This record gives sequence, structure tokens and C-alpha cells, in this order.
Amino acid sequence: MKRYWKFIVPAGIVVVVIAVLVVSLNSSLVYFNTPTELMSQEPGDARLRLGGQVVAGSVTDTTGGVAFEVTDGREAIDVFYVGAPQQLFQEGIGVVVEGTWDGTLFHSDTMLVKHDETYSTDEGEYDPENPYGDGSDQA
Amino acid sequence: MQSQVRIRRWPWVAIALSLAVAFTLSMISPADSVQGDLVRIMYVHVPAAWLAYTAFFVTFVGSVAYLVTKNLRWDRIAAASAEIGVYFTGLALSLGMIWAKPTWGVWWTWDARLTFTFIMFFVYLGYLALRRTTDDPIARASRSSVLGILGAIQIPLVHFSVLWWRTLHQPPSLIRPDGPAIQDSLMLAALIVGVLAFTIVYVALMVKRIELIHLEEKRLAVEQSIRRPVAGEAVTAPELGAS
Repeated sequence: MKRYWKFIVPAGIVVVVIAVLVVSLNSSLVYFNTPTELMSQEPGDARLRLGGQVVAGSVTDTTGGVAFEVTDGREAIDVFYVGAPQQLFQEGIGVVVEGTWDGTLFHSDTMLVKHDETYSTDEGEYDPENPYGDGSDQA
Repeated sequence: MQSQVRIRRWPWVAIALSLAVAFTLSMISPADSVQGDLVRIMYVHVPAAWLAYTAFFVTFVGSVAYLVTKNLRWDRIAAASAEIGVYFTGLALSLGMIWAKPTWGVWWTWDARLTFTFIMFFVYLGYLALRRTTDDPIARASRSSVLGILGAIQIPLVHFSVLWWRTLHQPPSLIRPDGPAIQDSLMLAALIVGVLAFTIVYVALMVKRIELIHLEEKRLAVEQSIRRPVAGEAVTAPELGAS
């Protein structure tokens, strides 16, 4: 019987440690806030991550950055991103932007593109008038 | 103990053939509409991650079987599989970083999938280190079996992290409730053949690694059977007070 205890005791300790870690880390394991969650948060200087899809037709290039809206299907947040957008940045793609929320505008200096799990070969045509379009409106 | 370890040559042929087929398919498959040619990294990244799961699962099975049967054969399987698993976890991590930089925009970020994969890599490195803490094959097998079983908790944790938590990493494309999220048949074929090819590579590497373990054990047995003179044996102490 003794040799079973030699296994069960360390196993139990490890399971408890992992459970405590996962429970306590649960909030920091959430990588970003959705626009709906951000709406209910107090504006301030705290750095946050906002994730969602880039609203079609909302992208405007300005000097020094790009302005667009990020949505989760319910709420949309205005984002101003300072710098050149990521290579894959376009309308309809998922993004995670890092920055501060002042209650009306999300000021960001870091952009990550969150591509989804779908892959296809539907090639859209590049339109110089609409460089961030996903090409789907082109015939 | 068997007198002769059989050295097989077919594993090398199998590795070369399966990798050649997988490479050809990944090159002739079309580019993705969003990612372009970057999608081709997937045909190596996903199989590598799949192999890491498979290898650590085999380590788990070998560890349980060892503790039940006390047959060192299972310990050899668990050990060989863990080594291959660590290699392929490292490969999946590196390829993932190479893929992440041009798509996400960063080499690394601490989202749940990446964090748990990172931890898994180091836990199994620890498993390999633990095996080197003793020369006694029985103690080594029992100690590492415990870690081999506990470490397996991480396999579902890593795999489902993208579904359990909100992550930057995308959810699985192949195994999902609605079927594969890859419409193009050639892209899908490249991914599935890649996974199959890496599985063949895994089996071939396992065969070669276990051969190597047998050779190591044989060498160790020969070394231990030779009586070696103790250092200083040839020197006779001077006799004091002799007259």
C-alpha cells in the first residue's frame, strides 16, 4: 500500500498547484477586452487590449496613423492607431490593439492582427482607391 | 538480454519519402487569400504541434504501463517518445514564431496558447533532466513515470487553451465541430498529408531511438562487466620503520 501513497501524494499536490494557478491566472489568461466590455470600463490611463473586427468602410488613413472602428457585432469603438498598420491589416480582419481608453476614443500604439482559422483561395482584386478593402466588393 | 541489436534501415527511407511527398504538396497548394504564401508555414507548424501532443501522450501511456507492469520496455518507449516530443514542441514554437512575426506583427506574446506551450516545453525538458539524475534504471523509470503521467495534463490544456480562454492564437482549423475550415481541397490535402507524414517520421524516429537505447544499455553492461583497476592500485605503500 505504501508505494501507492508515494505516487498519490505528489500527484495530489501537483493537481492542487495547477488548479490554483489556472484559477488565479484566469483573468490574465483573457488576452483582450471586447468592445462591449470596454464600454463598461472606466476611462483612464491604464493600458488595455481591445480586440474585435475592423468595421468595413471605417478605415481612414491620416498623417501619422490610421483611424478605424473595432466591433464585436454589438458595440463599435473608434480607434486611432499611431504608426504604420500591420501587413495583413484590412477591413473585416480581427485585430488586437493595445493602448488607452478615454471614453470615446481608443488611443493605440501597438497593433496585432488576429487572423482566423479559415483559409481560402478567393482572391480579391487590389483597389488603389480602397487599399484596406478586403476585395470582396470587387466583381 | 538479446545478444545482437537489430539495426533497421527502413526508418530513414520512410522519413525521406514521407517528407518529400509532404513538401511537394505544401509547395504546389495554392496561396491563401489573406496570408498569401505565409500559409505554407502551417503545413509544418501544425504537424509539429500534433506530433508534440502524440509523443507526450505515448510518454503518458508508457509511464502508466511501466508502473503497472514494471517492465523496463515501457520506460524505454516513454523516454524515447519524450525526447522526440521535446524536439517537436521546440519546432512548433520556433515555426510559430516565424509565422507570427509577419501575420500578427510580433514574434511572441503571452496569450494562453503560447504560455501553456512554453510551460509544456520546459516541463518535458525537466523530464529529460530528471532521467539523468540517477544511473539506477529502476529508480529512473519510476521517478520519470510519475512526471510522465503528471505532465500529460498539459496536452489538453495546450490544445483547448484557444477555446477555453480568449487568445490571440486562432482556434483549430482541422478538428472542429463544423468540419475543417479549409475549403480548398489541395490546401486541406497538404495539411492532412503533412500530419500523416510527420506521424510516419515519429514512428521511424521511435524505432531508431529505441535501437539506440538498446545499444547504450549493451555498452553500459559491457563496461560494467570489465573489472577496472582502482586508481592507485599499482602503487604499493612504502613500509615505514622497516629495517
